[in-house]
Amino acid sequence: MFGSFRARLIATVIALVGLTAGFVAVTSFVLVRNSLRGQLVEEAVARAEFNITVLASTDQLAADAGRDEFQASGLVDRFVLRGTDGVYVEFANGESFASSLGLLAADDLLSPKIRGIVERAEYGFEFLTVEDTPTLAVGGRRPPSGPDFYFFYSAEETDSALSQLGRVLAVAGIGILAFAALGAGLIARRVLRPVAIAARAAGIMAQGDLSVRLPAETGDELGKLAVAFNQMAASLEREIGALLEAQGRERRFVADVSHELRTPITALVNEAARLEHRFQELPDTDRRVGEMLVTDVGRLRHLVEDLLEVSRLDATMSAADLSVVDLPRFLEAVIADRHPAADLTISDSIGTIHADRRSLERIIGNLLDNARSHAPDSTVTITADIRAGELEIAVTDNGPGVAEEDLPHLFDRFYKVDSSRQGGSGLGLAIARQHARHVGGDLTVRSGSEVGLTFDLRMPVTQPLHPGDPAENSVPHPEGEEKSTPRSTS
Amino acid sequence: MDATILIVEDDRSIREITELGLRDAGFEVRTAADGDEAIIRFHNEQPDLVVLDVMLPKRDGLEVCRAIRAESSVPVVMLTARSDAIDIVVGLESGADDYVTKPFEMPVLVARIRAALRRAQHIDPAETLTIGSLRIDVLGHRVTINETEIGLTPTEFRLLVELARRPGQVFTREILLERVWGYSYLGDSRLVDVAIQRLRAKIVPESGSQELIETVRGVGYRAVR
Repeated sequence: MFGSFRARLIATVIALVGLTAGFVAVTSFVLVRNSLRGQLVEEAVARAEFNITVLASTDQLAADAGRDEFQASGLVDRFVLRGTDGVYVEFANGESFASSLGLLAADDLLSPKIRGIVERAEYGFEFLTVEDTPTLAVGGRRPPSGPDFYFFYSAEETDSALSQLGRVLAVAGIGILAFAALGAGLIARRVLRPVAIAARAAGIMAQGDLSVRLPAETGDELGKLAVAFNQMAASLEREIGALLEAQGRERRFVADVSHELRTPITALVNEAARLEHRFQELPDTDRRVGEMLVTDVGRLRHLVEDLLEVSRLDATMSAADLSVVDLPRFLEAVIADRHPAADLTISDSIGTIHADRRSLERIIGNLLDNARSHAPDSTVTITADIRAGELEIAVTDNGPGVAEEDLPHLFDRFYKVDSSRQGGSGLGLAIARQHARHVGGDLTVRSGSEVGLTFDLRMPVTQPLHPGDPAENSVPHPEGEEKSTPRSTS
Repeated sequence: MDATILIVEDDRSIREITELGLRDAGFEVRTAADGDEAIIRFHNEQPDLVVLDVMLPKRDGLEVCRAIRAESSVPVVMLTARSDAIDIVVGLESGADDYVTKPFEMPVLVARIRAALRRAQHIDPAETLTIGSLRIDVLGHRVTINETEIGLTPTEFRLLVELARRPGQVFTREILLERVWGYSYLGDSRLVDVAIQRLRAKIVPESGSQELIETVRGVGYRAVR
């Protein structure tokens, strides 16, 4: 998330520095070039003037002289001696002279502009390229009517100095840009470092460690951010700590209450059980009261047991406790214990599985208890199958069922569909679902096609062993498989 | 049956109703209301079995159990008001043979007491079993390693004999629960795990050599051949 911000910051700095450096470089280049060329032009014009007015005066060269007379005069050599690199002359009679082969084309090279200046009897100059060499041409007319002289001076030295300057400026520019990029990177990192630290701290907090704090050394904006962050973290830690403590107190209280209730309930259960044997000796009304006492003691007992189970499940973070379960035998045992009339249909492919047997026993047992108390005279069937690595157990009754709007609430604690019905603790289904989720599965309910309810338990099971005698055939399981819990596979 | 049972329970109602229930079931019953009294009565009465509440004044049930174990292999059935895994395991580790969670019903407690007493009786046929350097005289109820006798509780002894009769065969926890403790298929397999741990600690062979009872991960236990 900082990558793009850092990139933007660096790009902006580079662009600004680049623009500034470019502007400075171009300006200084132009200034230097103009100064160098101006100097060159000034000297060249002075020489040309001297050449025309002094060396090539009418004493030396007649006004009507042609090419032959000019060549005979030896002026070219004198021009060259005085620092002129080449000369092109147009005589009044229409002839012309070029001091070198390259200047034979001077007629074409010279622009109309310079010719116009010369025709006005003024000195003009322009930069040309003659035979690939940068050259300064200076033209002038010897008064009063010619001939017209064009002197050529090499500008190579100036130009090479200028191109060297250009190279130096370019290198310096690149250097400045690199330096700017580096500097911007360092600044970006320095500016963003507290932000990166804050992001890491926030990440740690998100994972539940509220004790992280930021170093708040500086008094600048980032320092203030750190102080604010720390205040937030401290207040969060305080609040959540208080909440957790309250929650822990509440849980301990429920556990203590359940625990304290167990002792008198143990006594009550056994006292009531003893009295039950004597009910035949009591008059009818007293016997009814006695029976109610026994029933109510049983209800109280189940309520307390379920409350204890809920508080235990709420508090527990432990992983599922896997062991080998011979599922057909296990289900038969649970049915015999909780609802002997229920029918079991189990797929032949299911033999021994790895599962948390205590959780499985609570789930199936509570579903059977629920069927027994809410659909007392109905047929209850249990089917078990394994599909795609998931154990699917369905417990179906054909009792009265519940209204569609009540279905989602069946797993709520203490939810009673029919308040007049007095069955279990109101916690059985909630406990069953809690167990199902504890082992990485789920428990859902749906209405039967016409009557009744079907509870569907799905839970992942680790690789079933081959049906048969696990004692003889099985081999030790690899470490990894043994450690894996259904939670991790879901 | 006239076995003598010592009930150690601080709650008077439970103590009395349990006493009545056990008398009805044909046992001789003695009672104690706290840990100190439990130790004194245990010495004076020499009971055949102790029913021991975990939460007791003065000296808690775990301490009493350890004190009894230090001098006797008499069966101990714990009464616990907490079904938390850790409390049960701690109880079993202190040397109890079995536990019953409150609130219990009298027939359940009676069944557990009878099963524990059965284990303490010498009903096995005469035979001598060996695993490694361990010799088990089944009739004489004696276990020796290199002529040194090892003291085992009846439950530990039964468990060892069960495993030693078929060396190399893996027994699931459930099968051991049924055969040694007399539980139905739905018993608590931690009883087996803790008893195996205690048994192993007592029958350690010479240092460095192999465990005599092996864990077969995800399945159960077996005695080495």
